[in-house]
Amino acid sequence: MFAAFLSTVCGSLLSICVTALSAFSVTIIFRTSTTANFAQGSIAAFGCYVVAECLNRWGVPVYLGVLPGMIVGVVIGLFIDLMVFRKGRHVGELGKQIITMGFVSLFYGGIPLVFGNPEFIPFESFYNTTKAGVESNVVLRVFGGEIVLTKHALICAAITAVVLAALFLLLKYSKWGLGVRCTASSEFTAELMGINTHVITAISWALACALGVLAAVMYAGGGAMISTSFMGTIQVNAFLACILGGFATFYGPIVGAVLIPVLSNCVGFLANFPAFYDISRWQMVIVYVLLLAIILLKPQGLFGKKVVKKV
Amino acid sequence: MTDLNVKKEYLNLVYTDCGKVSAGEKIKKLLAVPGTQYLIFGVILGVFPLLAQLGALTSSFVFAVGNTMIYAIMAIGFCLLMGYSGLASLGTAGFVGIGAYIAYYFMQVYGAPFGIAFIVTVMISLFSGVLVGFISLRIEGIYLAILTLGLSEILRNTFISLKSSIKLDMSKVRLFGVKIGEEQVYLLILALFVLLLFITSNLIRSPIGRALLSVKNSTSAAQAMGINLMKYRVLAFVISTVYAAIAGLMYMMLLRNMTTSTSTLLSMATSLNILGAVVIGGAKSLWGTTFGVFIIYGLQSTLLSKIPFFVENPAFITMITGLLIILIVMFFPGGIAQMMGNLMQKRKTAKFVANTQRRMDGYGQN
Repeated sequence: MFAAFLSTVCGSLLSICVTALSAFSVTIIFRTSTTANFAQGSIAAFGCYVVAECLNRWGVPVYLGVLPGMIVGVVIGLFIDLMVFRKGRHVGELGKQIITMGFVSLFYGGIPLVFGNPEFIPFESFYNTTKAGVESNVVLRVFGGEIVLTKHALICAAITAVVLAALFLLLKYSKWGLGVRCTASSEFTAELMGINTHVITAISWALACALGVLAAVMYAGGGAMISTSFMGTIQVNAFLACILGGFATFYGPIVGAVLIPVLSNCVGFLANFPAFYDISRWQMVIVYVLLLAIILLKPQGLFGKKVVKKV
Repeated sequence: MTDLNVKKEYLNLVYTDCGKVSAGEKIKKLLAVPGTQYLIFGVILGVFPLLAQLGALTSSFVFAVGNTMIYAIMAIGFCLLMGYSGLASLGTAGFVGIGAYIAYYFMQVYGAPFGIAFIVTVMISLFSGVLVGFISLRIEGIYLAILTLGLSEILRNTFISLKSSIKLDMSKVRLFGVKIGEEQVYLLILALFVLLLFITSNLIRSPIGRALLSVKNSTSAAQAMGINLMKYRVLAFVISTVYAAIAGLMYMMLLRNMTTSTSTLLSMATSLNILGAVVIGGAKSLWGTTFGVFIIYGLQSTLLSKIPFFVENPAFITMITGLLIILIVMFFPGGIAQMMGNLMQKRKTAKFVANTQRRMDGYGQN
């Protein structure tokens, strides 16, 4: 039974990677530009379509095809920051959010126009399984049971671990990281201290959009299919992860991103008991209600600090 | 001495209009009352089914107008929530689902008349509005927007688990014991729409509306002036939730079937589009909001469906909507309503200046 439980938890490896990358992107934009980027999912989907175009039209392998996608992500991110957010500095916090919601419509409308009929385009995983005699799964034997992991998920986990580790090291030790942390604590003061906040926000946007595309490619590889709104669930989960962990720290959202898929699979695991055989129908509802309850108990998130506002 | 006389004469000239009230003026005054405007608007829209019977309009046009009105009902509730209390919610789609599912369960499964289904819709949405309102006291700003998004996901998943596709038989729907057809549903939607417009516009100009505005502008200052934050936040959420649920009920009556998992009605797109409509039209104007809904939902099905380019590329309209939202937030924060208001103000000023100039010129010649 324990092995079966472990297997279920490990099944959420890919979702953890995707949610963690998306949550990090949302956080870094939130910290530097004080806005929630609701277009995270749709920008990622747009980039993923670029990758799909490379794969299906020119037969580029996916680990090379992801590069043009990420470059498109960087361009979109820079465009949004330079052309929209910098011009609209007088726009309030709510206004900025609404602008990002406008981008959601823009990209959802743009995908069919740029890429033709967009629904259910096939997508490759990082580990191509079409070759004969090659296993796409890795089987581990522990506690008298089997844990089955796809190689795609393992590769994604490795990429995510490397990328996130590099980013956290950069945030902690590099000059850029110091700038981001300063801008996050107070943009105005950071500017007074001689930090070029324009560059910091521009890099944050570019980074966030590129990571979003990377996450989308990973997720698409797992599902082997993409459609316009396929990042919708991931985006909602990433946002909830950010709130669960609290926007105040950079590691909080990552912890939230690990917790949500694990929690979801744990609830799904209950279906193995006869009393809860029908639980998979209500899986997402139960998970969201649980998350809602935690957030209501700790409105600042698990690692959040209470911000006291002066009038 | 002469200077004073000139001044007096000038003032008389300027204010002559104020004294006399002609029949035209009276009509103008009557038209300035929002209630009359809504009534006229309602009568104009009410003629559409009649024109369709005479063959002047297609029945698909009338259907599209009815559909647009349903979204407009959601939008005016949302307008009160966002424009007047400054609470950004992305839960509209979930609450619409409540109405749609009550319509199915009560009218189709239990065979209840429309009145009962309506009352149940209002009661349940009232309850859920109070719930969300209390949540909004604990969580603010962007956190609230994301949380309501999560709430809407909860509702959507619940609905999918309950029944993935619902269908309403019109032969089972009864209004005051009478079976009703498509035209009556249209008129019912119209009546509800005009009624809710009227109620909302009165609410906005009542002390409640003023209190909501003060909460929006500064929570702390409003509290210091003795405004009960809890009462007004909960009220704003209750109103928008009830409106959304009523819209869902009417949607089910008009469209009659829905596959929940693929339906755009219950997805995030609806919440975003309603928000877009309110922003484009102007968050503080009911007319603006109605116009914004028409741009997003009505334009495509009524006018653009005649133009081949847009028929081939329906995604183009989504894109334009997004672009409009971005441009309007950046350059005209008050939306189309403010743009029109500014234009009218400019024209009024120009007219006043021109009139005065003309009179002064005339005065000089005499």
